[in-house]
Amino acid sequence: MTQERSDPPPPPAQPPVDLSWKANTIQWGTRAVVHKDGGLTLGALNTGAYGEIPDVWEDRTRMPRGAYSPPGRVGSPIGGYYLRHKSDLWADNAADLYEEGISRRWSSAESIPWESCRDLAPDVEMAICQVSTELSQQASIEVEIISGWLQMMAYGYHEVKLFLATENFDAGRHFEVFRKRAMVNGGGLGLESPGNVNRILLESFAGWSETSLLMHILRGTYTRTVYRYLSAYAPSPVEMLIGRRTAQDKSRHIAYAMQHAKYAINHVPGSDRNFSGGLAAAEAVVARDDDDSVMREAMACAFGGGVRQMDEGMKIVARLRRDYVRDYLKCLDWIGINRRPTLSPGFAAALDVKD
Amino acid sequence: MTDATDDPFATYKEYGRERGYDLRWLERRDVWGHQLESDDRKGGLQLQNVDSGVAAQVPDESRNMTGRTRGSIPRTGVARVGNYSVRTKADIWLQNGAELYEEAVARQWSSATDIPWHTIKPLPDDIERAECQLATFITEVEFVAGDVPGKWISKVTPDYYEPRMYLISQVMDEARHLDVFRKRALANGGGLMQRNGGVQSVVGGNIDSARDFTEMSARLHISGEGSVLTLFRMGELMSYNDAEKHIYRLCAQDESRHVAFGVMHLKYLGAIETDRREEIQSYLDEAERALVTGASGQNPAARGLPSNAALGVLLGGGDDKVDEGMKTLLAVRQRQVKEYVQRVRVAGFGERFENGRANPMLEAYLSVN
Repeated sequence: MTQERSDPPPPPAQPPVDLSWKANTIQWGTRAVVHKDGGLTLGALNTGAYGEIPDVWEDRTRMPRGAYSPPGRVGSPIGGYYLRHKSDLWADNAADLYEEGISRRWSSAESIPWESCRDLAPDVEMAICQVSTELSQQASIEVEIISGWLQMMAYGYHEVKLFLATENFDAGRHFEVFRKRAMVNGGGLGLESPGNVNRILLESFAGWSETSLLMHILRGTYTRTVYRYLSAYAPSPVEMLIGRRTAQDKSRHIAYAMQHAKYAINHVPGSDRNFSGGLAAAEAVVARDDDDSVMREAMACAFGGGVRQMDEGMKIVARLRRDYVRDYLKCLDWIGINRRPTLSPGFAAALDVKD
Repeated sequence: MTDATDDPFATYKEYGRERGYDLRWLERRDVWGHQLESDDRKGGLQLQNVDSGVAAQVPDESRNMTGRTRGSIPRTGVARVGNYSVRTKADIWLQNGAELYEEAVARQWSSATDIPWHTIKPLPDDIERAECQLATFITEVEFVAGDVPGKWISKVTPDYYEPRMYLISQVMDEARHLDVFRKRALANGGGLMQRNGGVQSVVGGNIDSARDFTEMSARLHISGEGSVLTLFRMGELMSYNDAEKHIYRLCAQDESRHVAFGVMHLKYLGAIETDRREEIQSYLDEAERALVTGASGQNPAARGLPSNAALGVLLGGGDDKVDEGMKTLLAVRQRQVKEYVQRVRVAGFGERFENGRANPMLEAYLSVN
């Protein structure tokens, strides 16, 4: 390499090989079951000692749950990992949802028949582009939120971390599929989001449980409802398929959040009241975004079939909002939070819409 | 669609506004009339082929503080929620971020069903313990490349969504690696073995503590993941069944994208911000110290670690052949060094190997027969 150096020093001598680690395991003889159809799943690993999920995980390194740790302190904490109580993040379905997220993966590049959304009426095209712009931004915000919280989560609950990695990947896919939809026919990206709900999600710092509730249940049920309506009122097979795929992904995210919130309520007395109070404040913020005409009009145009059908389209949007609030309340009922007595006026009014 | 010079929405707007609708979203954009082609023979509608006009303008400095997606139309009155510390293109950019993301999407795999777990048969106890120790090490360190990029994703403005999308895919890959090696440890009558444990956090200088993205990427992608990639590529030598061969092959495929990201980012930054080249050389000084001493804690082949001894057992074929295995392991370490050198050359910093800047211990590894 160099011309002026003397002979290079020899490589460091290899220390004597130490095989003392061979005995260092908390449980030997483990053979996780490989299922015929599902293969070897993450959940199947939780057998014996490896399935003992503690209520508190003291370690603040990346030590795998179930690894042997020599007596005394081994290594130094590496910072972060403040969410160390099971009730901070656990959900019994996290491992299954992780595997489902992987098995149901899809590619926006190849799974969507992009050539079949051509030649829509110009007003419908622009409406779809505006709706897509909003949904793309929502997904981008979701990525920022999950990415920021992921490093806070202790390794004692790796199932949750791995599930959220799939959710992050899903959100990334939602970001780019809606960007592609906005650009594919030359409509282009529309107006940015009014951002009031985005803001409360990004600024939520009480805890992961609270952020999850806002992001997944308050916002997530809205997003899923829009996805479903996009599929149902799709002007082309492209929107139909995008709506269906994204709704399927979103259902997994909501399923995690429901299980987690229920776990938190069952294990942390009083958390249901805190959650309810937080949601009450957040519902008022949703109303501010709702007041914005852009998304409402765009959906009315897209789902109604054009500007000239927007009056009818507005009735569809009203039903969408009703279905959103119904879904939101249903999820909360399951979790064990009753928002009905103090539901925000806008939400309550949405329920009055008839078919 | 109509001629691009017309306002294709004039009659719609007139109709709608007469009925009290605002319709400010119904305006022609700069890309009006520009349709994108989706060709199944070329992988469909790829992200790198989507942007044009305003959407394709990647600013050298981002002023996007509302989290809007690049190319969308700003609104007044939106709160500045974007506390993005990475708002300079050179700090994060690379030429092929979108391509790497799309490749990652296309090459996703399932550890549950794509690994032929049934091909793992009982192994001699010393081999199984070595496999499990190595798997324990890897399952522990892999998700540093999940947590840390994740932290940085939330700090990067969406104006640079291409590298963000790549990092999102890396987090997904690393989740799968944590998962697959945990599965290997628990699939064949063994168990998890001894944890790793380091004290790097006391003085910083590690992947977690990096306060600059390029600093982090040099430690993670160039050094740490580079070493792991070399090992994965040599997985045939450590494998005792098809399942293990599949694991190493698929993980190597993922890891090569991660390393490519680091190389291409460094290449871009080094070319664009030449006044940062000396700074980057200092990161490479650190990376080389870690490479030759194993101080990073990311390299399973680093001397003194249980995983190092486990590799010796696997490469030799048993406890009684560990000395032979350690000779092969030295060859692995040499290859790690060689591939690191090649990587740094491709990144545009190869002069350090000519002008005496490189760590002299690298040469020691390379000159051993």
